[in-house]
Amino acid sequence: MTEHENRSPLPFPPSEQALAEPVPEDLRAAQVARLRSAWARPKGWRYWSSVNSSQVGKWYCLTALFFMLCAGVMALIIRLQLAVPENDLISADRFNQLFTMHGSAMMFLFAVPMFEAISLFLLPALLGARDMSFPRLSAFGYWCFLIGGVFVLSSILFDVAPRAGWFMYPPLATQDEGPGSDIWLLGLSFIEIASLAAAVELIVGVLKCRAPGMRVNLMPLYAWYVLVVGGMILFAFPPLIAGDLLFELERSLDWPFFDPTRGGDPMLWQHLFWIFGHPEVYIVFLPSIAITAMVIPTVARRPIVGYSWIVLSAVGVGFLSFGLWVHHMFTTGLPSLSLGFFSAASEAVVIPTGIQLFAFLATLMVGRVTMSLPLLWITGALAVFTLGGLTGVMLAIAPFDFQVHDTYFIVAHLHYTLFGGMIFPVIAGVYYFFPFFRKRMLSPRLGRWAFWLIFSGFNLCFLPMHLTGLLGMPRRVYTYSSGLGWEALNLTSTVGAFVIAAGFAVFVWDLLRPRRNQPDAPRNPWNAGTLEWAHDIPVEDWGVRSIPYVTSRYPLWQQPKLLQRMDQGRYYLPDSDEGARETLVTSVIDAKPVLIQRLTGPSWIPLVAAIFTGGCFIFPTFGLYWPAILCGLLAGGAILIWLWTATARPPRQAEKDAGLGLSLPTYASGPDSVGWWAIWITMLGDATAFSSILFGFFFYWTAQAQFPPPGAAHADGVAVAVAALALIASWALVVLARRTNRLQRVGRARAALITSTLCAGTGALALALAVWPLDPTAHVYPAIVCTIALWIGVHTVLGMVMQLYCLAGSLTGKLTPHHDADLGNVTLFWNFLALSSLAACAVIGIAPRLL
Amino acid sequence: MTQEPHPHSDKHEFRAEALSLWRITFAPATWALHFVLCYALVSLSCIHGTPPVAITRSALILATLAALAVIALLGWRSYRHWAPGRTGRLTHPYGTPEHRHHFLGHAAFLLAIISAIGVVFVALPLLVIGGCQ
Amino acid sequence: MTDRGNLPRGRAAFWLVVSLALAACDGDQSALDPAGEDASVLALLFWVMVAGAVVLFLMMNGLFFYFTRVKVRSQSRAVARWLIVGGGIVLPVTVLGALLTWGLTILPDHRQAGDGLRIRVTGEQWWWRVEYWPEGSDTPIVSANELRFPAGRRTELILSSAHVIHSFWIPALGGKMDMFPGRETRLSLRPTEPGRYRGQCAEFCGTSHAWMAIEAQVMPPEAFAAWLGTEARSANLPATAAAQAGMALFNREGCGACHAIRGTPHVGRVGPDLTHVGGRATLAAGRLPMSIEALQAWIVQPDRLKPGALMPAYPHLTRAETLQLATYLRGLE
Repeated sequence: MTEHENRSPLPFPPSEQALAEPVPEDLRAAQVARLRSAWARPKGWRYWSSVNSSQVGKWYCLTALFFMLCAGVMALIIRLQLAVPENDLISADRFNQLFTMHGSAMMFLFAVPMFEAISLFLLPALLGARDMSFPRLSAFGYWCFLIGGVFVLSSILFDVAPRAGWFMYPPLATQDEGPGSDIWLLGLSFIEIASLAAAVELIVGVLKCRAPGMRVNLMPLYAWYVLVVGGMILFAFPPLIAGDLLFELERSLDWPFFDPTRGGDPMLWQHLFWIFGHPEVYIVFLPSIAITAMVIPTVARRPIVGYSWIVLSAVGVGFLSFGLWVHHMFTTGLPSLSLGFFSAASEAVVIPTGIQLFAFLATLMVGRVTMSLPLLWITGALAVFTLGGLTGVMLAIAPFDFQVHDTYFIVAHLHYTLFGGMIFPVIAGVYYFFPFFRKRMLSPRLGRWAFWLIFSGFNLCFLPMHLTGLLGMPRRVYTYSSGLGWEALNLTSTVGAFVIAAGFAVFVWDLLRPRRNQPDAPRNPWNAGTLEWAHDIPVEDWGVRSIPYVTSRYPLWQQPKLLQRMDQGRYYLPDSDEGARETLVTSVIDAKPVLIQRLTGPSWIPLVAAIFTGGCFIFPTFGLYWPAILCGLLAGGAILIWLWTATARPPRQAEKDAGLGLSLPTYASGPDSVGWWAIWITMLGDATAFSSILFGFFFYWTAQAQFPPPGAAHADGVAVAVAALALIASWALVVLARRTNRLQRVGRARAALITSTLCAGTGALALALAVWPLDPTAHVYPAIVCTIALWIGVHTVLGMVMQLYCLAGSLTGKLTPHHDADLGNVTLFWNFLALSSLAACAVIGIAPRLL
Repeated sequence: MTQEPHPHSDKHEFRAEALSLWRITFAPATWALHFVLCYALVSLSCIHGTPPVAITRSALILATLAALAVIALLGWRSYRHWAPGRTGRLTHPYGTPEHRHHFLGHAAFLLAIISAIGVVFVALPLLVIGGCQ
Repeated sequence: MTDRGNLPRGRAAFWLVVSLALAACDGDQSALDPAGEDASVLALLFWVMVAGAVVLFLMMNGLFFYFTRVKVRSQSRAVARWLIVGGGIVLPVTVLGALLTWGLTILPDHRQAGDGLRIRVTGEQWWWRVEYWPEGSDTPIVSANELRFPAGRRTELILSSAHVIHSFWIPALGGKMDMFPGRETRLSLRPTEPGRYRGQCAEFCGTSHAWMAIEAQVMPPEAFAAWLGTEARSANLPATAAAQAGMALFNREGCGACHAIRGTPHVGRVGPDLTHVGGRATLAAGRLPMSIEALQAWIVQPDRLKPGALMPAYPHLTRAETLQLATYLRGLE
């Protein structure tokens, strides 16, 4: 926020006079041609090297849809097996694999990725940006998702799928023989990392890539939700990744984190899983509400009523949803007082959730509603979701949950919330945004058929399940005896499931059928007010022709000349004079233009990096550790090449014309650059994962009478102290290197970098020596101490690579006193690492001697 | 922070508003702290027996009052920041610094209300349930 | 559009099914047909909440329908704003606050102190180890897969597990409680209506999770005391020649390595205690009703009835031999 804000007054905001000035016809044509060639989609097989969000978003959506259909087929087989008592259609083992994969795939391969896919696709258009700031990161995330998803899903074809439930409770899942549990742990961890990458991309997109003038009070509500959900992913996924790490260490190295005979505790997994698992439900639900928040004003033909209220509920739900996790563990025998807190928080979260629905009602009330297909699906969503929400209120009352927990009542409840809170709104969104997606319309007739089939099939399938559960049928049973009153109910549910399937068949057919002969859709078919409907028909890959100056929440309604001016290139970045892809970076609060960001173009490197990363996760599943390590190194190499060749290169010109007389810098470091934000956000997630491991340490301490066990060997105190000092010294030297580099003392900066690497190496070595004598398989105490040391060790090695990367940059002219974005980002990484090293050393060096 | 932002002083304005974007999370963060405190202390008391649960309970009731006071303060400040009485404005749909300023106040104020309700709900078990049983 | 008709038809068919199911709803595993103090409170809680939920559901969806289909013209903004405040804050805070307070007051009840008898139940894959600890006794009375309760008394259950997590649940008597390896959880129940009730493991516990049921019999206190006296005794001696031959087979096949029969040299603890197996209503944790045929089928191939079961199959036994063995076991009442 420093230099550019002090400069002479910017010609911003643009004057009406400047905006009204026409662009000469020939210039316009030349601009269009240059833009088109800069953003051209690669042809032929090179198409798969595309990285821009409109392509990647499309692949992402279709892949997630495919995974959903697979998981849906699994559900149909499950329902067939349960149609009649004592059925032997499939074996118990096969059934257990199917329900495990149905849940895991729906959650990890469909619900969360679908949000990321839709957001990746829509967000640039909603914000008036050309593209998101890290196109290659999106592509990398997509390829990871595809490889991981296919790997996990195909395990069912070989009869080796995970079979301990999507929640993978130990000891059942830790003791399970065969690769099933490892496939779940490693395959899904891999996908979780891709999710985190997408979250980083989306958060930075919302904060830094909004059209000039789009202040925080003007952001489309969808963007607010993306911000909240992205933040939730950052705090919800890392505990699960930490849990996966502990779990995999137990499975492959026999470190007893969840083994009660050696001091471990299966409850720790339940905590870590549900700290992820409950926010996850809201991570799935909020984006769908966001879609609703886009559709409702359009059908009501007026701006949303209670914009601030909806922002409040999004943020409020985001926070409260982290205080609910134990309601999945009400029957685990925790103290009543503890259960009470979670019961209370689970009721409290209903309030912000309800506010959103009432804000929608209020908007419909003051608007003049036109009935349309999207609204029909929203109506269905509301009916289904309110029922799911009301049973949720019932379940949050702990004593009632004692009865129906783990029964078909829960199955009914969760499907009501997920269909009402996700499937129906997303389909509403598909009907609503399809003209944007495909530039064609979906069939209203087929749409109504699909709706009534899915809606009635859904209620036929799931409404009886409430009763099935109350009559005592537990979940996850592969069959049941007759004579308990469950037969008719189960048969009804099975029939309903097939009606739903018929509805989906209609929907998917309509979605995917060839439409070459169909006419183009109108540009703004619903007469909506937000920026995505300024899209080009026929399709153009440049995102927006020129980046508009926005002064209202519904620019297409409230800024009558905006569309015409966008098309004529009268706004920002109407040209691509260097033939490169560029977008505008703006300030966080008021969206003042700060930077012209060069975007990366098509490349195979994300795919290569994803393949090796995949190998690094997939080989250990089969106990092949050396190929995994090799893949890990190759993935690291690919990522380094990618960063080196395409990021933070000093630009040819320091400033350039952004249009409307505005001249903007083309290079930034520190908080003005998008990279700095990305590191900051990533490290926040990383720190959350590390905190989860530390939480594990203190969890064992609270849950056991004697932790550490009497007479246990501790990490060597002196070595831990040396490690702490060396790592802090390394951090201080990185900070020093950045300062001196800024002051043009490049030699000193290089010396500081070399010394810092040596210090970091010393620190890592000292830490390894400190825990070397411990036997992590003997008891959970040495195991958790070693894990903490391992975590810091791996991060230190990463930090050393970064230090050497900066050194290499400095030696080759990539990093100069002015162009020091890399060093700024590495400093930020080391800030986090220094803090976590201190925490780690305190926990393994000091805490055991005090407790 | 309560007066209108200075229209031409970018730096001043940015600092004030960057703070106010964070500020909308202060009240729910207070809720979260209170929640974690309740959960952690009760776990310690019920599993280790120290401190005794009666003492933990009283301490947490005090912590609840403190959390409510903090949220009330935050709510009051954001209410003045929003200033509906002075401006007569309940919505802030325009791209002006005033609208953005009042919007952030409004959102923070509403979040303070929700957070206060959340704290009261979470404190209910302390009043209703006696011990660890 | 003819498809409009789908919904009413679907609903009608559904309600038909529901009424049929309700008619047959005195299933003995129902939470809606309580036979104990704890389950009755929870059933009442359920019905009150259902009534509230129906009202709120109709209100919310009714308003939505009204604004989108009936009164589509623009209406007052002030009213709309009050709708958000009233419906979004005032209404839920009141309703939820009251409901939460009620819920919290009954929350600790499922672990209240008992009247003396304690039963320790341990989850196994996939059956239940049961020990009765009458007040003041220091040795348990061991049984398996069946529970008996004195009516009108509060019995404490001490729950744990051998290997993986299970969950103990008898819906007609009360809520459930998970069973962990290496940890004890507690639950107390006060059954009031004598009768037979079925329970089932509710936490997924592996391949045959579906076949882990438990039979609960609530008896008048005097009958319970008498039964417990019988249960404490050693096994009956085989009365018939067939049963004696069965006993010999039991020795020959090494069944005692896993099973205990008090009063005989067999003290295995891997499988269920068989001292009074013939007196139980079901076999193999509710898998089959107790009968000689069921015992035969089970001995020949347990895995067919309960996939993954640890008990080895005895296919080499002839029909006559399994009949003798079954006769012996059936006689252990």
